[in-house]
Amino acid sequence: MTSVDGPVLPKLIGERVKRREDPRLIQGQATYVDDIKLPGMLHLAFKRSDIAHGVIKSIDTSAAAAIEGVELVITGAELAEHLGPMPIGTPFPAPDHFSVATDKVRYVGEPVAVVVAEDRYIARDAADAIEVEYDELPAVVDPEAAMEAGSATLHEGFERNIAVESYWGGTGVNPETAQPEDDSAVDAAFAEADVVVSQRMMNQRLAPNAMEPRGVVAHYEPGREYLTVWSATQNPHILRTLVAAMMGLGEHQVRAVAPEVGGGFGCKINIYGEEYTAAALSRLVKAPVKWIEDRTEAFLTTTHGRDLLGYIDLAAKSDGTITGLKARIIADIGAYEVLLTAMIPTLTGLMMNGVYRLPVVRHELTEVFTNKTPTDAYRGAGRPEGLYFLERAVDMVARELDMDPAEVRRKNFVPADEFPFATQGGLVYDSGNYEPCLDKALEVADWQGMLAERDAARAEGRIVGVGLSFYVEVCGLGPSAVVPTGGWEHSGVTVERGGKVTATTGASPHGQGNETTFAQMLADHFSIPFEDITILHGDTGVVKQGIGTFGSRSQAVGGAALISAAGKAGDKMKQFAAAMMTDQEVSPEDLVFEDGRIQVEGAPEVSKTFAEVADFAYVPVPLPAGMEPGVSEESFFEPENNTYPFGCHISMVEVDRETGETKLLKLIAVDDCGNVINPLIVEGQVHGGLAQGIGQAMFEEVVYDEDGQPVTASFMDYVMPRAADLPVFELDRTVTPTPINPLGAKGVGEAGTIGSTPCVINAAVDALAPFGVTHIEMPLRPERMWRLINEGGQS
Amino acid sequence: MEIKGEQEFNGPRELLYELLLDPDVLSGALPGVERFEEVAPETYESTMRVGIASVRGTYTGRVEVLEQNPPESYRLKVEGSGKPGGVRADAVVELSENGSGTTMHYRADVKARGTIARLGGRLLGGVARLLIGQFFKSIEQQVDDRAA
Repeated sequence: MTSVDGPVLPKLIGERVKRREDPRLIQGQATYVDDIKLPGMLHLAFKRSDIAHGVIKSIDTSAAAAIEGVELVITGAELAEHLGPMPIGTPFPAPDHFSVATDKVRYVGEPVAVVVAEDRYIARDAADAIEVEYDELPAVVDPEAAMEAGSATLHEGFERNIAVESYWGGTGVNPETAQPEDDSAVDAAFAEADVVVSQRMMNQRLAPNAMEPRGVVAHYEPGREYLTVWSATQNPHILRTLVAAMMGLGEHQVRAVAPEVGGGFGCKINIYGEEYTAAALSRLVKAPVKWIEDRTEAFLTTTHGRDLLGYIDLAAKSDGTITGLKARIIADIGAYEVLLTAMIPTLTGLMMNGVYRLPVVRHELTEVFTNKTPTDAYRGAGRPEGLYFLERAVDMVARELDMDPAEVRRKNFVPADEFPFATQGGLVYDSGNYEPCLDKALEVADWQGMLAERDAARAEGRIVGVGLSFYVEVCGLGPSAVVPTGGWEHSGVTVERGGKVTATTGASPHGQGNETTFAQMLADHFSIPFEDITILHGDTGVVKQGIGTFGSRSQAVGGAALISAAGKAGDKMKQFAAAMMTDQEVSPEDLVFEDGRIQVEGAPEVSKTFAEVADFAYVPVPLPAGMEPGVSEESFFEPENNTYPFGCHISMVEVDRETGETKLLKLIAVDDCGNVINPLIVEGQVHGGLAQGIGQAMFEEVVYDEDGQPVTASFMDYVMPRAADLPVFELDRTVTPTPINPLGAKGVGEAGTIGSTPCVINAAVDALAPFGVTHIEMPLRPERMWRLINEGGQS
Repeated sequence: MEIKGEQEFNGPRELLYELLLDPDVLSGALPGVERFEEVAPETYESTMRVGIASVRGTYTGRVEVLEQNPPESYRLKVEGSGKPGGVRADAVVELSENGSGTTMHYRADVKARGTIARLGGRLLGGVARLLIGQFFKSIEQQVDDRAA
């Protein structure tokens, strides 16, 4: 082979490339919403309800309006003349929900009036000066009590506070009507079972706590009839669609920008009242306006996650074969339905099939309004809840039968040769190979060694337990049939003059590292240096179309769109290259990208550099017949199904007998997310997910008092996991690619929160099993553990 | 939340009962009181300044004295609110003779809202104890003065 000048470029897919985003993020050089400052910009502050439930009797804004520097004070009823009720993204019936309450408040923190002022401090003082009188109503904070006759009701037309009631997805349910017709098979399975475990379990309410709170800058330019909205959002394109609709504008009149976004975890999917309010008020006061959430507001008004109560029954034979599942789920969705609220708990039942063959299933779901902050997606969004219920129950079966929890799971796995596998809930798992993943986890953890270590510790009088969980989750959301916004993703790839590449993605990242992984993919695709590629995102003025980032879809859907667009751009580059080499009679099909050149495969001397071809594309003299100048291509990728990654987590905990404090000693996570572009980023995603999943198991809980007053609205009372609370995670992977996209990648953003929570609780129950404990509610507060050690039973 | 406790005084309970319901005594004894007026029989309005951490602020409130059973017991209904939020309390005070003097038992059910509930929750018990302690010290002084 003849050598040519120039470097040999290493393949980057599969390499641990450091995130190119990080230097700017950790050096204070990134631009967040609060960094955006426009000339003449005014500031918003919201007056919020400090009662959980009441009718607004009067609002006196006179003192606020008299403060110097106050531009406008507007009540919810007045704002409703400019903004209708907020849209939701689910097909369920929902009560009207205004950006700012018009007549009644239903949770502490609900806005009742807004101030526009010269600066943030004046706005806040003026909001404090607004006097609101309420006719206070009794609050309801317990979803089971909320369903009882005589309970306070939040919304007219929603009797017993029930938002959604469904009986579905199980054996004997008519798929057309979603009504049960004959589920006697379920009753028979339970009647014939050798063992039945039944447990009421709470999957408690959590606050997402993104490091950057929400924020919005809206700038309506009356002269152009054009609105620009900067927002800390996970999905600027959805924001554009919904803000345009609320403002009576077309999408061509709105640009939405998500600059740097400091964490979302699902709570920045919803488009919030503050975003609509900012847009409407900018138009009203003819000036740009800014609102930045403070931490208390984040606790009170940013959507919460989880809050599902499950009554779970699992039937099995004496050999550990699972024969049936019954799940009655009550979701406390808070005071209103926002964008995806009502959809999230439906994922719980859907995913409760887990990795098992379940012959019969009965699912009931009731979603209930209470006087609390509305819920929506939170990392995992419905799946952590379902897998927690299921994996706790499977563990209880193992304990009841005195079997190794790993072996009970192995016995019930969907075998590798049964994929694609249709579940009772109507999902089709794309691919799976569970047993090697379990074996690898047992090996990495040294499961037998851990059991021996536990027993040795117990012999010394220590309280030690080990736990295991095996999850499957649904990633790569779409397809469009199940995502109301559309389930595709969009990407654009432009080869610039000089051979550099600019690509866009609608999968707007906020910690996923797309700028790195997508550049790795393009570097390999075009065989050009990583540094020659820029990935743009988060701006509807730059990224033509998009859906956004949620449901672990960046790589599985966004990455697939990128590769598709890159394929088109590459084809055109090859056509230009062939045109430049007509004297050598080269056909585009013979050409490949290699080390910065476009060459005949196996013949590097017959080539042009990538840069030469790019330059030619923009000054194509002569222009090849049938071609247009330039290389700028785009693709929409519509997945035909979701992807179903899975994994096995193992943990070991020790509980202090004197204080009840639980220490997580070990956590081993073996995850299978299909093909991996960048193992470093995958591990980072798993680490963050594990921390949040462990946070739920051990520390976090949103607590309201009986009057609906939140009592955990600061980091003094809401316990976040800290580095010192966590062991050094031991991670490994198996690789089962998906056939759903050309990358074979499944998604990994939520894996950690799904596997770790039941894993840690299973370990905690194992630790306290010698005290007769069979279940422990989350979080593992020292007081709760101390009582169980001293009093036994359940918590 | 519930706040309860007991306190011993030197004087007879008739004297204590009288002092505890005397607006002048109360306005002198309650910490941070700027105003304490009888607005109706057995109903008082007051303005009080609290200078403690996240519950700092000026509160206006209303106190109703109910179920008077001299010299043994009475009930108080208290409602107060300020910038940091509001408090509602229902308290029962009982006085019993203990040989050398009087023992006062008090029990209050306190409900808070706003910042007081959110951020003050962990402080509220401590703040209440601090204020109650200051109040008792002052009442004790008055009992001693009268008894002398």
